[in-house]
Amino acid sequence: MTDFVQLWVYLSTTPLFGLTATLVIYASAQTIYQRLDQAPLANPVLWTVVILACVLTISDTPYPTYFSGAQFIHFLLGPAVVALAWPMWERRSELRRRAVPLLLSALAGGVAAGASAVAIAWVLDLPADLIRSLAPKSVTAPVAMGIAEQLHGIPAMAAVFSVLTGLIGAISAPYLFNVMGGLSAQGRGFALGTASHGIGAARAMQVNVDAGAYAGLALGIQVVLSAILLPLAARFI
Amino acid sequence: MVLMLGLLGLELVRAQVSTVANGLLMHLSLLFVPVGVGVMTHMALVSKYGWQLFVALVLSTWIGLLVTAVVFRALLRAEEAPSS
Repeated sequence: MTDFVQLWVYLSTTPLFGLTATLVIYASAQTIYQRLDQAPLANPVLWTVVILACVLTISDTPYPTYFSGAQFIHFLLGPAVVALAWPMWERRSELRRRAVPLLLSALAGGVAAGASAVAIAWVLDLPADLIRSLAPKSVTAPVAMGIAEQLHGIPAMAAVFSVLTGLIGAISAPYLFNVMGGLSAQGRGFALGTASHGIGAARAMQVNVDAGAYAGLALGIQVVLSAILLPLAARFI
Repeated sequence: MVLMLGLLGLELVRAQVSTVANGLLMHLSLLFVPVGVGVMTHMALVSKYGWQLFVALVLSTWIGLLVTAVVFRALLRAEEAPSS
């Protein structure tokens, strides 16, 4: 037992703690997720984050200490988004043929998500800087932060909203699509990528590679559309 | 990602990339964990407007998902109809 305590004390002072804790907890969450036939509510990102947050709170570890280890995982996010080009490449002729309908769906979904978020927040009387931070919630966290800065929102909150949006989409979309009915795997993936960026795409990728490819495409389109349209829209409001 | 799509035109690049890309994408969700844990550092502001933010985030995400899915289905059905 003292060995364990010493090991813990050693680990918690090195960057290895954040890295090890993240990997171990994620591996367990992933195993349970597979055991439960990938039930949406067992989403491994959600449970890994919740358990890690509890561990950090109980062990009184500040977030920067955790991140000094976890940054090695965070760093891979960039290459991984680039890697989404691969499944798109494999389907390039199909995607080129469908370019116009895909762009229109992405535009409609992106505008609907952003505008409804802003409208609901405004009706519920949220402060203006939070409303501005909600607008780019459909794109992946690093991009959302950049856009929120341009909109004079709070970049850190934009990242929070982006992550929560991703989780909400990844968890609830399967139920929503089942209620809707008659939607192909590609349509499911595309909607997930549009409304829930990388976390939605990760879910789509686990369920079906075809859905994953369309999700990757959708999140890419959404980044470009949001970066161009949101600052323009903000100028007129 | 755009640059990547261009480079994938080269056969040599393609072989190397497929293994790495598939490996990375299998564990895409793991990569969001560090940012996700970052949410806890902003719990004060989030919980202050807790239910309003929750309603805004959930409803807008559902609206975004449904609108994309409905438009996608409608447009691609129209595209496929003449050929079949």
